[in-house]
Amino acid sequence: MNPQRLQAIVSKEWLDMRKNKMVLAMMALLPLLLVGMMLGTTYFMERAPESDFAGESSGMTMPPDIAALGEKIGMIIMLNDQYMFYLLLIPMTLPVYVAAYSIIGEKETRSLEPLLATPVSTAELLVGKAFAAVTPAVLLTWLSFALTAAGMYLIATPIVFTYLVRPVWLVSMALHSPLFALLSTACGVIASSRINDPRAAQQVTALFVIPVVGLSMVVLMGKVFLSLSLMLWAVVGLVLLNAGVLWLAVRLFQRETILTRWK
Amino acid sequence: MIRSESLTKRFGDNLAVADMSLDVRQGEVFGFLGPNGAGKTTTVRMLAALIAPTSGAAWVNGHRIGAANEAVRASIGLLTESPGLYPRLNAQDNLGFYAKLHGVADVVGQVRKYLTLLGLWERRSEPVGGFSKGMQQKLAIARALLHEPPVLFLDEPTSALDPESARVVRDFVETLKGQGRTIIICTHNLDEADRLCDRVAVIKQRLIRVDTPAALRHQLYGQSVRVRLQQTTPALREAVAALPFVKTVTEIEGGLRVGLDDPAEQNPALVRALVAAGGAVQFVEPETQSLEQVYFDLMREAEATA
Repeated sequence: MNPQRLQAIVSKEWLDMRKNKMVLAMMALLPLLLVGMMLGTTYFMERAPESDFAGESSGMTMPPDIAALGEKIGMIIMLNDQYMFYLLLIPMTLPVYVAAYSIIGEKETRSLEPLLATPVSTAELLVGKAFAAVTPAVLLTWLSFALTAAGMYLIATPIVFTYLVRPVWLVSMALHSPLFALLSTACGVIASSRINDPRAAQQVTALFVIPVVGLSMVVLMGKVFLSLSLMLWAVVGLVLLNAGVLWLAVRLFQRETILTRWK
Repeated sequence: MIRSESLTKRFGDNLAVADMSLDVRQGEVFGFLGPNGAGKTTTVRMLAALIAPTSGAAWVNGHRIGAANEAVRASIGLLTESPGLYPRLNAQDNLGFYAKLHGVADVVGQVRKYLTLLGLWERRSEPVGGFSKGMQQKLAIARALLHEPPVLFLDEPTSALDPESARVVRDFVETLKGQGRTIIICTHNLDEADRLCDRVAVIKQRLIRVDTPAALRHQLYGQSVRVRLQQTTPALREAVAALPFVKTVTEIEGGLRVGLDDPAEQNPALVRALVAAGGAVQFVEPETQSLEQVYFDLMREAEATA
């Protein structure tokens, strides 16, 4: 892997992204909305009387430590946990569109053939494109988390803030978000190098968010309790999954097919 | 500089290129002529290590296709049929990206050199999406040359360009001749090939004929002269046909077309014979068949053989 070529690809992708103001605006919109919703919900729930929550959590199975904090605080923490899952969707959903378009876009502008006629290797090309797509999404996710934490510190009771920044979510933000981003990006690159229509590739890659939504539901239903060990095992799983998917992406990227079959 | 031995490419049941053996010398401008689907672009893609041959072998700048693809691609510049630029990026950024991919030491200097050479320096900061087709094509040529490759592939360099832009591009390619680069041009424009190419290969899946345009004319038609006469009569025609060195005589408007082996040697005797037979000779001029005629006749010949 040639670092100069890798850097050239990443820089060019970022430059192209910066020139496309609409893409950047749309990338920032979802995290901002999510942060606003999370803070707004907490603000109003915090200020509602305790009696409003009586019996409201009956369908929920809370972990004992959260249940011990009372129904109102427990529900706020459980709801914030749900929002945190949605925040984790950001690094999965944002880069996937950029990644899905990465190969198809080159094909559409007919820039892929001259690009492939340079000494750049498939691995350099795909890793460069994946990194370029992952980084802004991860930075936006971290920024959203930082804004949320700062907001919670200001508007929520200390225990709600403490639960938001507990190790489970710190590990998740630090490690899961880049790994999720890389995973969905690699899947986007695979889809975009195998499907010659950007809309179809985006539809396929959108499917990858389903497992995370499913996990959030399982947690909400009390079937699984979030714990640090669970999150760390998830890191191990994601690292292995990423390695496999990246390997597959390089294997599935058929220069010849892309050049000769796509019209 | 470029050598291929029985290069063949199949896409499923479709035979795109068959048994293509070529030897292109350093510094040569070599043209691929053939109809759409003849295998010109496929041959270039194989030689540019973009697609793998089904069988056969090829070497570019001493590097074998398939075994040293990265080295092959480092040795070549490729101008594709459409410019394939990044429309949102400006001219400088488009070229800078490719210069870095090729590991050019002085990126800024090389970009400036080629933008200036092609008259685009003043517009270096504009997004290339707003450039005319001619400007985009010039930029794509600059991109192919940035790393000073010894081998340049130009696939339809002037197609889709207006005559003025096509001329600018053709003139630039002409300036590249004599710089020691080997240039392969795929084109439908036979006048362009005639003007630019040292040798041409007429192909239709297979190699039909390869030689200099002049040699192809000679092989097909020999050498002929057009004799303009004040009046053409059967007696004049018979007098010319009776000359032992005359190969063919055809009556044409305003005179005769006479096939000869060596016009420089035989023209004086030809003129003497015509004058002796009462002819009034106005002009004797070499007759040149267009490369277009050569191409069509070779294609007809190939179809008849097939």
